[in-house]
Amino acid sequence: MINIDKYAYSSALKKKDPMEKLTFALTTLGVCLWAGSIPISITVLIIMTTATVKKGQTPFKFYLKLMLIPITFLIVGVVTIAVEISVSRESFIAALFIFDRYIGVSKTNLVTAAVIFFKALGSVACLYYLSLNTPMVALLSALRKMRCPKLIVELMSLIYRFIFVLMETAETMLIAQTSRLGYARLSSGYRSMGMLLSTLFIRAYKKSDELYTSLEARGYEGELNVLEESYERSFRSYLTIAGINIFLIIGTLLIKHYIGGQY
Amino acid sequence: MDENILEAKDLYYTYADGTKALNGINIQVKKGKITAILGGNGAGKSTLFLNFNSILKPSKGQILYKKKPVDYSRNGLKALRKAIGLVFQDPDSQLFSASVYQDVSFGPVNLKLPEEEIKVKVEKALQRTGISELREKPTHCLSFGQKKRVAIAGILAMEPEVIILDEPTAGLDPMGVGEIMKLLKEMQQEMGISIVIATHDIDLVPLYCDDVYVMNQGEIVLQGTPKEIFRKADVLRSVHLRLPRIAHLMEILEKEDGFNFEDTASTISEARRILKNYLHKL
Repeated sequence: MINIDKYAYSSALKKKDPMEKLTFALTTLGVCLWAGSIPISITVLIIMTTATVKKGQTPFKFYLKLMLIPITFLIVGVVTIAVEISVSRESFIAALFIFDRYIGVSKTNLVTAAVIFFKALGSVACLYYLSLNTPMVALLSALRKMRCPKLIVELMSLIYRFIFVLMETAETMLIAQTSRLGYARLSSGYRSMGMLLSTLFIRAYKKSDELYTSLEARGYEGELNVLEESYERSFRSYLTIAGINIFLIIGTLLIKHYIGGQY
Repeated sequence: MDENILEAKDLYYTYADGTKALNGINIQVKKGKITAILGGNGAGKSTLFLNFNSILKPSKGQILYKKKPVDYSRNGLKALRKAIGLVFQDPDSQLFSASVYQDVSFGPVNLKLPEEEIKVKVEKALQRTGISELREKPTHCLSFGQKKRVAIAGILAMEPEVIILDEPTAGLDPMGVGEIMKLLKEMQQEMGISIVIATHDIDLVPLYCDDVYVMNQGEIVLQGTPKEIFRKADVLRSVHLRLPRIAHLMEILEKEDGFNFEDTASTISEARRILKNYLHKL
């Protein structure tokens, strides 16, 4: 998670209008989910990967590693969809006969599994594009502009800011405990972890109190109003986004019409 | 023209749990000067500062800003907090935004100024504190010294008349200490801001401060110019403080080695002058 954050700040697309990236990622995500077709999903995957790796300059190796996380989950999930148990062998392409039942994969199930697999992967690519190229601060300002409820955006921004402080504190405490052999045995490890968590909670509580005081000293009146930085905005990018998505939609319709609905 | 901009008059503060943090404090902060509040841990410095900024309301006594008692109404507080900025010791509890630029803009936005004006003020504050190149960086990637500067910039952007800093040099490396103090000195000399700092870094006091108050257990035990304060070494020692290193050296030379200097010295340049004079006279 911390790495994603780091890459977002060093992305070449960092200065681009977050609204535009949000629109691109979410629209394409929507089309990918709606289409539910293997070729379209793969196209989305390719477009988003290219945008992230080529335009955003995220190292491909890191991107691949990130992609492996959902792939692992997907494979496990998809297997349960593809595999079926039945008394007759008829519908299966391949099957095992165990006791008095057949366990195997049928063509329809295989297709459904593949569709879900690529649909999910394409969607993940859309979200990765957004998170690897948009620093949180920019994303929050986009959400603010989209009239997301203030409370939620403020909470998000505070949580984001203080996750790092919290982790730093936790890490320091963990090191201090380890150096005093707090984790030498399993039983003492459990005890140390418990103490760490409770102390962390108290620290966080105190910190929030201090933050409130310091905000008050700067004229806080219940709203965290700040000045937004301006971003490069271009009408052309919106046209490109629209173009890509129209192409995807037409592609989907053609595929459904000529090849058949299930792909 | 030693006008008092901020005053504490017979100030008492008792916390809800009965801790008496301040016991009849009298302090005059002079306009355009750097005033140091010296005191060991738990002397009541932070409580005093929160009273100065009206975060805490005195149990007894008064805070005077420009000779007028502080108005604790909503608008009065707003005006006061614009005029008196408070920089906290730990920048991590002051910086609330992940963006340097946004954090610095928070104060001026709260003052409800027009956007163009805010932009100019933020820009100025960023430049003044030397962090213009950090504006793009997220707060959590900054070093401690950089965070401290951002915290100061956040206050400076509100263009206060008094800036109060709690332990501005704590946790900084020697170079960082020098840079922050130089920044404060610049703010005082070029912008005419009155500065109050709490510190126990005694060696800084003779170099940068005009007035000193020594606090112990919620009371003022000494007050005066650095020179006057450091003549009373025994009082300082009795409240867990000490003389600046140079002053200590001069004291030992006089007491133990029979030197007889014309004056006391607390900084290297003063000591150098006095020693040179002494040697010439021999």
